[in-house]
Amino acid sequence: MTGFIIKYKWWIISVSAALAVVLGVLIPTVETDPEIRNFVPRTMSSRISTDSIEKDFGVQDMILVLLTDSSVLTPENLGSIKEIDRGFSRMEGISTVNSLFTARKIEGRDGMMIVDPLIRRIPDNPASTEQLREDILANQFALGISVSEDMTAAAVTGTVNPDVPEYLTLNRVDSIIAEQDSEKKMLTGGLPYIRRHIVEDVNHDALFLIPIALVIMLLVLKLSLGGWKSVFMPFSVVVLTVIITMGLIPLIGWKFSILSLLVPIILISVSNNYGIYLVTRYKELKRSEVPPGRREMLKQLTGSLRMPILFSGLTTIAGLLGLLSHSIIPARQVGILAAAGVAVALALSLLLIPSLIYLRERPGTKSRPPRDHSKDLLSRAIGAVSKLVIRHPGRVLLASAVITLAVSTGIAFLRIDTNQENYFPHKHPVRKASELINSKFGGSQTISVMISGNIKDPAVMKGIDDLTQHLKQQEGVGSVFSIADVVREMSKALYEPDEEGYDKIPDSSQAIAQMFELYNMSGNPDDWKQLMNFENTKAHLLVKLSRPENEIIRDLRDEIKSYTADFPAVITLGGYAIIMADFAQKIIQGQVTSLLFALLAVFILLSMIFRSVRGGLIGSIPLAVSILIQFGVMGHTNVAIDAATALLSSIMIGVGVDFTIQFLWKYNSELRKGLRHAAAIAMTYRTTGRSIVINALSVMAGFSATFISGFLSIRYFGYLVLLSIGSCLICAIIVIPAFMLWFKPAFIEANINRTKIKNDKNGKDVLSAVSTADSFTADTYGTTAGCHTVDGQKP
Amino acid sequence: MDRSRDLTMSGNLQSNVTLTITEKNGATRKRVVNMVSKTYGDTEKRMMKFLDPADVRGTAMLIIDNKESQDDMWIYLPALRRTRRIVSTEKGKSFMSSEFTNADMASGSNTDFSISHMPQSGENGLWVIESVPVDDDIADEHGFSRKVTWLEKQGLKIKKIDFYNFDGDLFKTIEILKTQPKTGGGEGYIMTEMYATNHLNGRTSRVLFDELNTSASIPDNTFIADNLSR
Repeated sequence: MTGFIIKYKWWIISVSAALAVVLGVLIPTVETDPEIRNFVPRTMSSRISTDSIEKDFGVQDMILVLLTDSSVLTPENLGSIKEIDRGFSRMEGISTVNSLFTARKIEGRDGMMIVDPLIRRIPDNPASTEQLREDILANQFALGISVSEDMTAAAVTGTVNPDVPEYLTLNRVDSIIAEQDSEKKMLTGGLPYIRRHIVEDVNHDALFLIPIALVIMLLVLKLSLGGWKSVFMPFSVVVLTVIITMGLIPLIGWKFSILSLLVPIILISVSNNYGIYLVTRYKELKRSEVPPGRREMLKQLTGSLRMPILFSGLTTIAGLLGLLSHSIIPARQVGILAAAGVAVALALSLLLIPSLIYLRERPGTKSRPPRDHSKDLLSRAIGAVSKLVIRHPGRVLLASAVITLAVSTGIAFLRIDTNQENYFPHKHPVRKASELINSKFGGSQTISVMISGNIKDPAVMKGIDDLTQHLKQQEGVGSVFSIADVVREMSKALYEPDEEGYDKIPDSSQAIAQMFELYNMSGNPDDWKQLMNFENTKAHLLVKLSRPENEIIRDLRDEIKSYTADFPAVITLGGYAIIMADFAQKIIQGQVTSLLFALLAVFILLSMIFRSVRGGLIGSIPLAVSILIQFGVMGHTNVAIDAATALLSSIMIGVGVDFTIQFLWKYNSELRKGLRHAAAIAMTYRTTGRSIVINALSVMAGFSATFISGFLSIRYFGYLVLLSIGSCLICAIIVIPAFMLWFKPAFIEANINRTKIKNDKNGKDVLSAVSTADSFTADTYGTTAGCHTVDGQKP
Repeated sequence: MDRSRDLTMSGNLQSNVTLTITEKNGATRKRVVNMVSKTYGDTEKRMMKFLDPADVRGTAMLIIDNKESQDDMWIYLPALRRTRRIVSTEKGKSFMSSEFTNADMASGSNTDFSISHMPQSGENGLWVIESVPVDDDIADEHGFSRKVTWLEKQGLKIKKIDFYNFDGDLFKTIEILKTQPKTGGGEGYIMTEMYATNHLNGRTSRVLFDELNTSASIPDNTFIADNLSR
């Protein structure tokens, strides 16, 4: 390998730079996909059924302009609503409009059926305002749809026309609102606005989060390595890794999503480690009495560190690839991209850094001696922990078990959240608008029920009516609309209240057909194009949810299925809310499978490294404990599992397993040197313990950039990843040593008895390679200070 | 334009009207009605009875189309044995769910519009006239920002009307495919086949007048609500 690097050093540097340039140029071309529906596969049944409903009834995505005031029925407010309604009606980007000014009243009076606009003229005196209030209260097509029951909020709703670019439509809506005197009382909402905010916030996050994470990492590297020249090499690996990996997104043809934001953060946090190992070892070699020559320097570097770096990278890749078992598409993409990125970082660290070192190296020059860290705060804290664990391993284990069990009780309160409105902070306009829509306008999320059959058949129409009335009574349902509502309303105009047919579905298909014809004569056929198709062979029942929680959606889905089991027509159930409920199910499945996959992969790797199944199991303890703590804390703090937090476990497994490996192998190497258990643990603390803590802190520092994300979900991800890595760290340096002292497991003892460890084919032993790495990682952070006694024992 | 409008004022008319609406996906809906109409100054009265499809056969409508005030409409639903009067003020409303509006089906008034020649007017034997609603309320009532009418210079027959939406885009075109002179001499004509295309949603509507009789004597008591159920 040394020969290869020396021979092709310029090629390695050129290819690395060229790859970064070529792929970096592609980055600006990447598109952001804000559509959360695309998180689930197109083959999922709820997506198929929703697509089929939307084929007949159009996309149900609505833009809402909401006006709030002590009363919306003032001339100024009504004037603004009218102007917005007019603007919507004239826009090509909006196919149907619903407002106080498009609402009709169908009424029977003196033998007449009167179909007229709800507001003919804006009332200008108290009497006409009161009349309008009464008209609204009696109008089921306006109340709770265009105006709230308390008359403090009004909504103008437009269904988007997918043939017009959405940004153009939203820009037009914004300019119409800006022209209104009541602009300050207005809020905008609905999925198109949510999508726009997602695109804006993702782009904003990408522009700010990534540079901030890079700056944090630069500072961490400076603190760890000292000189800027030393910082340059691992930092260049970080930058190149991020550029190359992000450039893969447009190259593959994928789009950027909220979850994609996590890829550069993961890479910035993780990819510097391998470079740190190499640069530190390089500095160490430079500090030798007789520093080796360039070729020998490279040989020692690559020879001793290749295997441990590879193992560290492979465990991280294994954890990240656990995300492949997710059915959430962007989660799989994050898994592939992050794993590919770690692979790139590995390759760059093992090829580019040695090449740069080779070129930089001036034979004969010697580095300054390392600083003595033995008395700093971190070393003192580690010393205190080490004393506690060595003196009371049983109590430490018991306390850890009790704390873990206590915290894990929170798992019982875990909840899944797929509502993308909750990605945003509470004061965000999206949240404010959605809270208003849910509380005053029946809700922004919908379930669609498509009925395929002869809609004019009275049995079918009565079935639609029964289902409509039944669903109106269900928990979490804000409002329900169907063609049966229109037919009943027409029957109220055609019959007197004391007549048999009043407020009823007619008994003959001719009567229903003639009612449809009557409406065609008097109303706008577009009025019900969302409720019934042109051929009268399909009807659409729209359920708005005031409480779009997954449990409620699932209950409603089951209720609709059982209620329509004997329906005299074909029922198709879909809609955004149903997709989101399925999405929640996929998150749970993905969470479980990715967790099992990552645990299994890491267990196999650990078993190989420790050459013991028991070693694999014990090495997995910190991960298991951290998983319990992570979910327990989420349950207790009411942080939901969502698309972003569902990725936590795999990332944590990939990153957090290193700490245990480092600790155990250093411990093993100390035992092999002949130290007794407590002394070996003390020595491990003093050397590797410090490096593990600093390694964990550097990863945590990288992830802390997520704290300033515009998305609440990403921020929670950041907090939880810190918690997870923190608990992995604590387990590795507290639970694992206590376990070793208390149980003295055979797999770690077994190695001591070996007088000679078999070499692998490459002549490099896995155990010694890892141990070598540990001694270097310990040195990485300058912990080569002289030994002192712990618990009165001399090593 | 006033002269052109006068030529289309139908006076008395009896005909079977076939309206075919075709969706973008090819689905069609066909209605056949028997129509009798008579013009009284600025008021046009129409009696329409559905002949086809079977489930709406016998449904009948009486429309009193007032040029300057709201229309009156009565409808009889045979399955319910009910006659109801429908009051509506919207001229831009669809005619029987088609792409034609009630205003398109009537002779209309030019006082609602500012009328001017387009630059190409007079070329190729055609006048090209632009009509712009005089105010926003009238524009909203009619549902377009302007329309452009192509008229034959000789005879002032309308050939085509383009309608533009509020974004200034062409959204609907009505073509006059066939006309027939009014019986009894004079320059007046009846549009016997019209075709409307909605450029935004791809829907088209065709109205065909056959068995047309413009000279029949139509008693005034034809246009009373009691006749709807007969």
